[in-house]
Amino acid sequence: MEEIAHTMRQDLQGAGKYLAFWLGKEEFAVPVGRIREIIPWQEITPVPQAAGYVLGVINLRGKVVPVMDLRLRLGMPFQERGVRACIVVMQPDTKRARSPIGVVVDGVSEVLQIQPSEVEETASLANGWMQMGYVNQIAKSKGKVKLLLEIDGVLAGPMEDAVDLQTPELAGCGKG
Amino acid sequence: MRQEAQLLRLLEAILGSVFSPAAANETQAGTRRLELIQHFEETEACARQLEMGGTAEAARHLVALLEPEDGGEEREATLQDQVEQLHTLAEQELEARLAAAAPPAPAGPGMPWGDFVLEAREHLANIEQELLRLENSPEDTEAVHALFRSFHTIKGLAAIAGVETAREVAHHTENLLDEVRSGARAVSSALIDLALSSADFLGEVVAAAEQLDQGEEAAIPDDAGALLEQLYAATHSMPLPLSDDLPAAPPPRAAGPAAKSTRAGGRSAVKVDTAKLDQLVDLVGELVIAQSLVQLDPALAALGDPKTAKNLNQLGRITTELQKTAMSLRVVPIGQTFQRMARVFRDLVRESGKQAVLETAGEDAELDRTIVEQLADPLMHMVRNAVDHGLELPADREAAGKPIEGRIRLSALHQSGHVVIAVSDDGRGLDQARILRKAVERGLVKEQAQLSPAEILDLIFEPGFSTSEQVTAISGRGVGMDVVKQEIEKLRGRVEVRSEPGKGTTFLLRVPLTLAIIDALVVKHGANRFILPLFTVREILKPRGQEINTVEGRHEVALLRDRIVPVLRMETLLGESASGRATEDSVLVVVEAGPRRVALAVDEVIGKQEVVIKSLGDWMGRVRGVAGGAILGDGSVGIILDLDGLMGREGYGLAA
Repeated sequence: MEEIAHTMRQDLQGAGKYLAFWLGKEEFAVPVGRIREIIPWQEITPVPQAAGYVLGVINLRGKVVPVMDLRLRLGMPFQERGVRACIVVMQPDTKRARSPIGVVVDGVSEVLQIQPSEVEETASLANGWMQMGYVNQIAKSKGKVKLLLEIDGVLAGPMEDAVDLQTPELAGCGKG
Repeated sequence: MRQEAQLLRLLEAILGSVFSPAAANETQAGTRRLELIQHFEETEACARQLEMGGTAEAARHLVALLEPEDGGEEREATLQDQVEQLHTLAEQELEARLAAAAPPAPAGPGMPWGDFVLEAREHLANIEQELLRLENSPEDTEAVHALFRSFHTIKGLAAIAGVETAREVAHHTENLLDEVRSGARAVSSALIDLALSSADFLGEVVAAAEQLDQGEEAAIPDDAGALLEQLYAATHSMPLPLSDDLPAAPPPRAAGPAAKSTRAGGRSAVKVDTAKLDQLVDLVGELVIAQSLVQLDPALAALGDPKTAKNLNQLGRITTELQKTAMSLRVVPIGQTFQRMARVFRDLVRESGKQAVLETAGEDAELDRTIVEQLADPLMHMVRNAVDHGLELPADREAAGKPIEGRIRLSALHQSGHVVIAVSDDGRGLDQARILRKAVERGLVKEQAQLSPAEILDLIFEPGFSTSEQVTAISGRGVGMDVVKQEIEKLRGRVEVRSEPGKGTTFLLRVPLTLAIIDALVVKHGANRFILPLFTVREILKPRGQEINTVEGRHEVALLRDRIVPVLRMETLLGESASGRATEDSVLVVVEAGPRRVALAVDEVIGKQEVVIKSLGDWMGRVRGVAGGAILGDGSVGIILDLDGLMGREGYGLAA
């Protein structure tokens, strides 16, 4: 608990421990304070009539936990699951949802420390034309790029979606 | 603050024991004596810790008084006197202590309101019940004592919590009751009204405190000016603003089981946080699954050891028993809800100028706590309807040759896994012609429609239907029976109405005992299993070729015993691409979905099973057509389908 609390405090200052994971060739990072546990791949029961990126539900020690495909959630193309795919159980902290959510990623890479000095805002990087759904910050760590995922936005309930996932927000890009 | 609260509890227990009816036999008298001695000793210890010398001393005297085994009648009188003294003394000292203590913690967020809310609420419920009882039988001294004690305890709780206005209201009400207790004042309906108003105000305070306790924003009400004035006036021997010679209408009586004391005789109880209960139920659910995994483990079965088999059976039996017990913890009697209705009823009858009694039966019927809570609103609405629309005015009743006093009856009855709650009145009954006319006006049915009497009555549950031609302050709130029906259906229950012109109307609410467990039919589609609530399943059949017809090549309907039933394939429901297999190879499960039926085409029917319903988590929100999930024997999750929700109101809504 102490450690998590510590991480959270650091989080507020913009620095702290992050869990990094892969989606295709992109490496994302999420504050460890949001991570409950990482579990191996298991069979997921589909839920009829649920949003497309909701893969279904699993039994996590007696609790029914929904699982989403992060690729689809971010509007990336569907890809068959690889051998390193696993489910990262995250803890949202939004008005609508507080119970854990499983997030399928292509593989977990490492836990790392990111300093505020290593982070840049995507908005300032390209003067605004490079607008991304859920990545507002990019960090460079040991010569590699980590995309800091806006996890609360991602975990916001399916109903709350303001962003239409079928058409990634690249408006203005073509005209520029 | 713990010590103070503990002291208050002790005093309350002592008062309860000393002023309750005399013990029936010697053994009881002996037990009571020993209990009292113990209470006094604890009081003494408690008071010493709080540095309340006088109270401690008084308590010690009382111990000494009770020391000899036989004291006779005389001692009883002395005991009562001394207990009263102890009480007054303790109160003074406690108040002085609280006043001396550092600035009374301002009522604000961050205070531990939990204890206050929990205890005060219990006493408030008690107060309402006892007041209604007192109104029925003004001579009931036991009720007066109970009321006095409850207000008194609330006063103490409010003082500890630092809610000054609430303390004052409770204090003055208590004084008022004290006068009744000592015979200086008679019970009148004005007095009961005043006490009820006090209880209402205190209820508001408790509600606000509860919000604060849950970390929400709330302001503790502190403006009780008018109420305090009335209380003040009353206790200072001025005639109560409402004098006793009220209009001829006698106060409505709640003719409940008056003879039966509602006090929990001899039963002891512990208060538990509901979150902990839910957690326990969850854990037991896991245990049941873990147990079945072990029991079905082929490796263990391969051992073929009779001793292991026996032990496993034993484990299974205990687990089932444990699950039953855990489930029963969430259950509460419906009586407390009826109690609330009695209060509403009383106010309603007053407002409407009608005369009526409320009868209740079956208060002991137990239901899941959540269901009981969610039943309150629909029930209140129906009681309101019964008083407002059901019962006639006294003159009309007389003209119809009925007793002037109308009767409304609330009853509950266990019936095979359900509880049936009936709300009946002996009023004018539902006017079928008028209902039909209204339904036609509203465009709910065609003018020439041929409807059976039952179908006509069912029209009142249609959205937007309201039979009252006059909008009254009581019922005309824009909420109709359709809302009641929806609420009950949310609880997986059903509503029915029966009515006889001139004789009365009865509403029957059928609700399950628990929301946590359902009898279910488990079906298989591909690798996954789905769950259908058994009560919605009408039949299961293997279709013959001629029974299946396609519509425009896309949809299918089945002709089952002269009834056309749409066929819904599981893959359509799941949004999978069509499997291309013939429907004749599937099994059809005919399910009732609201007013319609639908035949669900599945691969296989696995069987009937009891399942524990689990939420899919708040993140998923409400997915149409899904009622939740359940963990099956092998640890996988089965989705509970809610075809009513899927097909119910907005039609099909499925892409073909």
